[in-house]
Amino acid sequence: MDVLGQERREGLGRRSSSSPLSLLLFMLVSAILLLSSLYAAEASVFRKARESAIEAASPLLSVFSGPVGFVQDMVGGVRDYFFVLEQNKALREEISDLRQWEQEARDLREVIAAYETLGFYHPAPSPEPVNAAVVGESNDAFTHTMIVNAGRDEAVLPGQAVVDDRGLVGRIVHSSKNAARVLLLTDVQSSVPVYLENSEIEGILVGQTGARPAISFTRYDDLENIVVGDRVVTSGAGGALPRGLPVGVIDRVTERGALVALQSNYARTRLVRIINYKFPGMREGPRPGLVDGLVDELGGDDADPGVEENEETGDAMVESADGDEAAVLAAQGGDAAGGEGADASP
Amino acid sequence: MIESRADNASRFIKSAAPTALGVFGVILLASPIRLFEGAMPTPLLPLVVVYFWSIYSPAHLPAFGVFVIGLCHDLLAGGPIGLWPLIYLTVSFVVSTQRPYFQGREQRVVWLGFTIASLIAGLMLWLSSSLLAGALLPITPLALQLAATIALYPVIAALFVELHGRVIVEA
Repeated sequence: MDVLGQERREGLGRRSSSSPLSLLLFMLVSAILLLSSLYAAEASVFRKARESAIEAASPLLSVFSGPVGFVQDMVGGVRDYFFVLEQNKALREEISDLRQWEQEARDLREVIAAYETLGFYHPAPSPEPVNAAVVGESNDAFTHTMIVNAGRDEAVLPGQAVVDDRGLVGRIVHSSKNAARVLLLTDVQSSVPVYLENSEIEGILVGQTGARPAISFTRYDDLENIVVGDRVVTSGAGGALPRGLPVGVIDRVTERGALVALQSNYARTRLVRIINYKFPGMREGPRPGLVDGLVDELGGDDADPGVEENEETGDAMVESADGDEAAVLAAQGGDAAGGEGADASP
Repeated sequence: MIESRADNASRFIKSAAPTALGVFGVILLASPIRLFEGAMPTPLLPLVVVYFWSIYSPAHLPAFGVFVIGLCHDLLAGGPIGLWPLIYLTVSFVVSTQRPYFQGREQRVVWLGFTIASLIAGLMLWLSSSLLAGALLPITPLALQLAATIALYPVIAALFVELHGRVIVEA
């Protein structure tokens, strides 16, 4: 095998002398292609080419991803065997945490049901999810995308959010008939409007090709309030994504922004859900009527005594606030009321 | 007449085989293999294909074939179209100028050559991606992927030697 290529001058090998020229020619062609694809990134020719490429490759990739998934399960099974005790312990702790959450969720559901019967709460239009399997991904150092096996036939369109069981994965950027490409949050081209759940600071989550995307904030003075471990969720600004999809937690705060540890683990993402979300428009929906109704009910006699009572007590507390402690209490009460109000309106 | 036609056809298939192998490498690269939970990046098999046949038998991997491999890579990965063809063609060109040196050399010299070739490819990819992103991108993921490819080169090349000798040239 050391001498391979010494005597290969027969047959087709004779024509190899013309190779460098054609190489240069094709280099020129691809350079022109690169420049034109950058100049008109969304030109229909390139978009069509990309779409038909994923459409053609999707069945092939499905064939590949079957055995790949099988082997991963096997390897994962062997690995899990060694950590089964630790995992058991962690899962038990998680279950006890989740039980508390369950109780809280049930309580909240009752509260919401009460609001609904009072006509105060109008739930946001519930999105229609489309389930899909990840059949491909770009294993490139600088491009982070995935290919899923659902496309325009199932109303999967560019701009829609893709989530897995843990949180937001990315957004659809191209969709063909039966396949679509997801731009992951770690890609440099990805930018998603998010906010921090505790401090309610808004920002844009920008990919940096590393495992941790960064949030760039519009106002830098808010940075002191950011705490490591704060939950990051989508803000829904711009109307492209629904509000409140879990994205990750703050991992590190730098002087210019914050790094986010993502909830979803891309190495394990195999089944995803594409959220076909329609932002409630200005014309459609019950918005103007809702506001009128609210004003009527508040102005009316005793449409919702509970809320009125709350407001009265809040006012009373502010008026009677002499000491600092009372003022703090009043402020907290006001905040809580404001927060509830913001949550209640869709 | 029929014989020569069959001959032509088989010659065509043989000369298209490395290209097909490169496209196969691209599809392998696009499938979610995720070795060791994504800790090990998928090796750049198409780069090995391009390097190998550019040294040993460029006639079996014409410039158009290299271009097709790169184009498939761009279309499947979703990056800017034309970047990977340019990288693969540059590697092929650089290697083709050094062909007389590499022919008949020991395998480890060729391996060293591949290391240099993949460094050239990596540098091109990093510079152009950074230029497109408008910031210097972290180099670690690329370095890991190149390291995985370079480490696996001897194994892949040994397979290709068998394939080339038995199927493409001799058969």
